[in-house]
Amino acid sequence: MKERRLKPWVFGIAAGSIFVLAEAFLNIYPPSAYAFCLSCHVRDLLNHLANTVTGSRLLTTEVGGRAFLLTSPGVIIGALVAARMYGESKTRKASKPLLFALTGFVIMVIGIVIFGCPTRLALRAGYGDVYGIAGLVGLLAGVAVTTVAMRLWSLRGGR
Amino acid sequence: MNAILLSLAFMAIGLTVGFLAQRSRMCLVAGLRDWILVRDTELLMGLLSFLATVWVLSSVLGALGLMHRGIPEYLAGADHALSATTVAPKPAATVPRLNLDSLPSPSALLSNLFLTTLGGGFLIGVLSVMVGGCVMRQHVLCAQGDRDALCYLVGFYAAVPVYYTLLERFFGWVYR
Repeated sequence: MKERRLKPWVFGIAAGSIFVLAEAFLNIYPPSAYAFCLSCHVRDLLNHLANTVTGSRLLTTEVGGRAFLLTSPGVIIGALVAARMYGESKTRKASKPLLFALTGFVIMVIGIVIFGCPTRLALRAGYGDVYGIAGLVGLLAGVAVTTVAMRLWSLRGGR
Repeated sequence: MNAILLSLAFMAIGLTVGFLAQRSRMCLVAGLRDWILVRDTELLMGLLSFLATVWVLSSVLGALGLMHRGIPEYLAGADHALSATTVAPKPAATVPRLNLDSLPSPSALLSNLFLTTLGGGFLIGVLSVMVGGCVMRQHVLCAQGDRDALCYLVGFYAAVPVYYTLLERFFGWVYR
């Protein structure tokens, strides 16, 4: 089981190559660094859908106005296929449904405002986008602070 | 026809990344978390190799003239023709790029958008650690049958209409 797993560094190289090559050869611009983003692509998908159906004029990026950005459903289906193929899918009951829904909501709102989910912040940082680097630094700082805080909290007997 | 092909291309990107992410358990926030907690560098290497690959490839392709670099996040008014479905927001935020010829001006680094991106990234980091994974990881967990991640995604999708009907007006200051 363990040895059939893919090493994360292989994922990094594969995903990074796919994103950059897709942008260069499929004309995925503007904006730049836009071959993969879960917040922005979901935003563009839903808004473009609403624009097509109801004729509204909700905001999409230029690429999002040209096509349906099916990245997020694609990730779910791809992961579903992989999980089924290797027998790793098992249903786990929701422990805190409301907390998770609220967190997803807040993360999407932030993602819309700052143009990116964690993956795209990293992608933009790799492109040398100053705001992307700022977002990634903020992200990592948030992760570090929270991890240390939770560690201290559990050491002091909380939870 | 072109639109259909492009949509399918995005589907294919999603499928590939979803498959690989499930196989590697990749998560962008878990890398640093694991390193802090148990000094496990495996997932952190995923993030670093991702950054390195993007940096090298985009630089090489950029030098070959294949990349369209420096395009602002949203179309900035008169410079570009707006397509029918695209609505430009307030004066668009042009994104300064880090290269040695022209470093971004200090005023760009103190703009509202820069500080919001820093703070927003921080908040995403805090929340992602609390729910145990970045957005991509939640997609994968949902596909594996985790109902918590499904609830996360419901909130994630629901935020789009809510943002554009109710919340957008509160965030205009970010782009000024």
